[in-house]
This record gives sequence, C-alpha cells and structure tokens, in this order.
Amino acid sequence: MRDIRRLQQLARRNPVRDMGLRSMAMTRRRLMAGIGAAGTLAAAGPRLALAQDRPLALLTWDAYADPRLLELWREKTGETVKTEIHISDPTSVNRLRAGETSVWDFININNPWARTQLWPEGLIRDLPQDRFQPLYEAMMPKFAPPYHWAMSQDGEHLLGVVQRYETFDFVVNSDVISPELAKNEGWDLFNNPDFSQRYGILAYEDWNVMDICMGAGVHPFKPKSDEDIAKFEATAKRWIDNAKLITTDFVQLNLGIINGEIDLYFTGGTYTTTSARLEGVSNLHAVTPSSGPADGKGGINWIELNSAVANPNEHPHALDFLAWIAEVEPAWIIAHGNGNLQPVAQMADPELFAKFTSEELEALQWDEFDERIANAVEFDIVPDYDRLYDIYSAAMRTRQ
Amino acid sequence: MRQRVSPGLLAMLPVMALILVGFALPILLVLLYSLMPPRTFSLAGEPTLANYWAAVTEGYLLPLGWSLLLAGLTTLLCLVLAWPTAKALVRFAGRFATLATILIALPIFISESVRLFGTALFMMPGGGIFAGSLNALFGLKIGSILYTRTATLLGMVYIHFPFMLFPMVLGLSLVPQDQIEAACDLGARPFQVFREIELPLALPGITVGTLLTFVLSLGANAEAAILGGQAVIVITKAIEQRFGYAQDWPSGAALTVLVILVTAAVIFPVLRRLDLDRLIRR
Repeated sequence: MRDIRRLQQLARRNPVRDMGLRSMAMTRRRLMAGIGAAGTLAAAGPRLALAQDRPLALLTWDAYADPRLLELWREKTGETVKTEIHISDPTSVNRLRAGETSVWDFININNPWARTQLWPEGLIRDLPQDRFQPLYEAMMPKFAPPYHWAMSQDGEHLLGVVQRYETFDFVVNSDVISPELAKNEGWDLFNNPDFSQRYGILAYEDWNVMDICMGAGVHPFKPKSDEDIAKFEATAKRWIDNAKLITTDFVQLNLGIINGEIDLYFTGGTYTTTSARLEGVSNLHAVTPSSGPADGKGGINWIELNSAVANPNEHPHALDFLAWIAEVEPAWIIAHGNGNLQPVAQMADPELFAKFTSEELEALQWDEFDERIANAVEFDIVPDYDRLYDIYSAAMRTRQ
Repeated sequence: MRQRVSPGLLAMLPVMALILVGFALPILLVLLYSLMPPRTFSLAGEPTLANYWAAVTEGYLLPLGWSLLLAGLTTLLCLVLAWPTAKALVRFAGRFATLATILIALPIFISESVRLFGTALFMMPGGGIFAGSLNALFGLKIGSILYTRTATLLGMVYIHFPFMLFPMVLGLSLVPQDQIEAACDLGARPFQVFREIELPLALPGITVGTLLTFVLSLGANAEAAILGGQAVIVITKAIEQRFGYAQDWPSGAALTVLVILVTAAVIFPVLRRLDLDRLIRR
C-alpha cells in the first residue's frame, strides 16, 4: 500500500517543468525509494496493475457491441469496453486456441461450443454458482437450472449466462407462401422443383449443413450411416445448385424477397427478419417446420452463452459484467442490440417484458414463439460434421 | 584492423527485422501448418503432403482456376479501360485532370464492401436503382446481371481500376511529348506511335499497374460474395472456409501456399524485367 501511494505521488507531479524532481523536493533517497516501489509492484502485481488499466474486452456477436450498452456500463463503472464482432463461432474459437485468451475477457457464442470445446480446452473459466445460478431461476422456464448447455459435461461447472435465443430455420414471403403451408411442408419446400431458382441461402455454413440434414431426412445431431451421408450429398448438391443466390448478408436476402427475386431462404429466423418487420415488411415470415427428422422436430434452436475467457491477466470486473447483462436495462438493450430485435431469456421478468411494445412483439412473432421453440431441437455439435462440411463445401465449389 | 559495419546495412536492420517478423515468419508458419496432418491445430504432428494432395484431387483447382481467370480478365479490362483514361489525364493536365483524378481516386477512401453493396443496390432488378428508375420513368422492365459471374467481373473491374490507372498515368507521363510529335512529323501512324513510342516508354508504369491489379484481383473475395451471389467460389473463399467453418488449418495453409506459389510464378519473372529506378526518374 505504501508503495502504491509513493507511485501515485510521483505520478501527480508535473514531469515537464523539471522532470518533477525539484517541485517535489526530490532527493536521491526519495528517487531511489520511488524506483524501488515501482520495482516491487512490477514484480509482485504486474498482472493486477495491467488488468485494472485495460478496457474490458468482448469477443461477441453484434448485440453486445451496441454503443448504448457500452455507454451504460461506462456510466455505471467508469470503465471503457473494447469489442470485436465475430466472423463466425468457429473462427473465434480458433482465435482463443491460437492464444487470444490473453486479449479477451468475455465471449458470447452459441451454446454447443462452451460445453464441448471451450471448457475442455481451458479457454473459459467457470462461474461461481452461488452468484450466477439464481440468474437462471429468473429466466424463461426452458432455462431452469441446472441448464444443460450452461454446464460442463460432468455437470460440475457453470460455464456462462444465457441470454439471446431463438429457433433459426427458414423465412418465406407470406404473400407467396402461406406460413401455415410452409410450416406443414417444412424443409420439403426446398426439395420442390417449383422453387428452384426461387430461394436463397444465407451462408452461415454450419447452419446450412444442419438444414441440409433436415431436408435430407437425416437427424443432424445423431451419427450418420453411409446411406444418410449419400442422402445428404444428393440434397446438398441439389439445394446449392438450385439456389438463386448465396450470401453471408441476410439484408440481401430480405431485399431479394422484397424485390420478388426469391420467395424464401434458409437459414433464417427472428434474427434475420425482425428489423425489417419492424419497418413494416410484415410479409417476411420466420418459419419453423412443425415436424422433421430430428426426433420428430424440424427446427433448430440456438442459445447464446456468455462466458468469461480464461484470460491469464484476469479483468477484475469480467464477472460483474456477466451478472450485469441480466439486469433489466442491459437485457433490454441487448434484445434490441445493434438495430436488431431478439428474444432474451430474461423476458420472463415482467418488468423487462413490459418494456416491449406490441409492434415489437408482433415483429418477433411472439404469439407463435413458444410453439416454434417447441418444434425445434437445440443446436448441438453435429456428428460427422467434417465429412458433411467437406461434401457441402465441395458442392459449393462445383456449383452449376 | 577492425572492419567497419556499413551504415547502409545498419540503416536497413529495422526494416529487415520488420520484414522478418511481420512477413517471413508468418509465411513460414503457414508453410509449416500446410505440412501438418489435416484438421489438427498443433505444429508437432508428423509432416505430410496430404493437404497438397487433397488440394489437387478434391476440386480446389476449380476455385483457383476461377480466381486466375477473373484476375486475368479484370487485368485485361482494366488495361483497356485505363489506357485512354490515362492518356486523357496526361494530355489534358490541368483543372480537368485534377477533377477527374479526384473523382476516380475518391472511392478508394470508401470501404470496398460499402461500394459493392451500393453497386448491388444499383443492379437489383425491379426495385433496384437502375431497373427501378427505368421502370418508373419510362415503363421499361429489364432483368439484372446481379448474382452472376458477369456481375462479379464488373465489380472487380470497378474496384481495381484505380490500381491500374494511376501507375499507368505515371508511366505515360514519362513519354516526352516532343518524341510523339517528331514521330508524327516523320509520318508515323497513330498505331505506330502507340507501339513504338508510347508503349515501350510507358511500360514500367503499365507493368506496375498490371501487377498490382492482377495480384489484388487474385486475392479478391468480396465481389464474388456480394455481387456474384457466390455464383462461383474463388480461391480466397475456399481458403476462408478451410480456416473457418471447416476448422482445418493445415488444408487452408496448403491452399494459401499454392496461391503464394502461383502469384510468385507470375510476379517474379515480370519484376526481374522491371526497372523501378527508371519509373521514379532516378
């Protein structure tokens, strides 16, 4: 403590006038004491000193980079936050693997990664359950503790806080295809030759692989037989060849529907439609098939998990931030993050729910949200993914 | 007697260190990864050429071919379009040239993706700016080239045109006007002036522009993604897929090494013939 005070005294002096020496009546003994104090701190607590000085660093999807959220945190704590938006989940997992655990404090990523890769590889740290488990009790019933995707595989460790979630399947122009018909037809719409060159693909490629499994009548999250792989290959080739456009930008696909170039696209859902629906494009309709090959279900439900990165230079407020995002104001901003609108697990809180307008709930298709979630299986690691992805990417390369 | 270290060598040391750390070492890492077993993340595996074999046998020559073809066509189209533009800029130096240069150079300061999305909005059928305006003003209904290979090529020409134009302007400014006039006085036809005076004297600038355009086009990805609707997969997209969704760094590294080798095979023979000193009038 005495050493810290000595350094603070040194720092307060004006170093420009006389190098700070005369103004603080510096003697050689005092100077040596200051240097000694700096040395002691450098040896004893460099990590602590650095962690307090640097901004909290978030590697995240877009909602957590919303300026309103970062400003609210700054008002609360006086701290700045550094953010970077993912290119994809696996790319960010790779970045942590490549040593960026020393760069980031927080990672917001889809549910399967934490449990099966980040935690087993020591890339995230577990959360104190006495502090964080109660957050789950206040969430939607689906997330009642111990929530499967938030726990390590041995069930011992809590790995993060869930927040945004939805089922992410396909989107139709409801003026052309009735949502009821789309729900009943499900993925077969993309197998129908009438829709050849009338649909687009949002190239979130791991999702595309899962959707093609659904279209091929194969459970995406169960081991595949050779027959399943053959069905997948035929479907992948056909769906990719018959697509009008393939893009990583869902706005392009929504514009394609508005302009009448396409009538539907996969992968898509609330995440890709709500901002346009809020602006009055109500014929963009997110659809979850009422049935499918995944234990009778046809939809796939993602849940984002927010975790503390195992940064060797641990930020002192990383856990505070994780707890804070579940409060009403931050959760509302995250649900509206970066111009988007997305359901959050904390909407079980009446105070938060009351903040959503009827137009926003309409944009979220809230009246059918529970039904859609019920018709979906939860996003998981795909067995044989490498083989399936190689087939998918080969079909992309040789697209006709 | 002690030998003095050359001051030139000393002055070069920081740059050499930067090139070593920032350029040579990453390429060495990529090379090492390309020799590791597929879908591994460690550099301690048993070295193998499996990734190179897969690159040749599993259809990656197709995206490489598309990239080379698109880069070649882009370079050719830029050459054809940039020559008259550069001649006009050099001949009419003054207010017109300054304005034209600003108009051509300004877009470089705007993000490439933003420009390409703007172009996509322009090209969209029905409600797009071009087709929508024609429909609204004249009742004309036209299709669109958006999401085709042609759109990809046009996007690449649009983005890379300045990289051809400005070196070419520099090259053409090396051609003395009196030589052209002398040739004309002696009865040379325009094509002879072009072939025997302008082209040889402006060649260093043209070569630099050609190299820049070709190399940048070979690494381009956004045009095929935004304007082409991924009608073709270019090699950079294939590399991105291997590093990202495929979680296969060694395979991505092998493809990267192949692209570096192809680029080097094109660039180095040309660079050996290029006299940069002459271009900057040293």
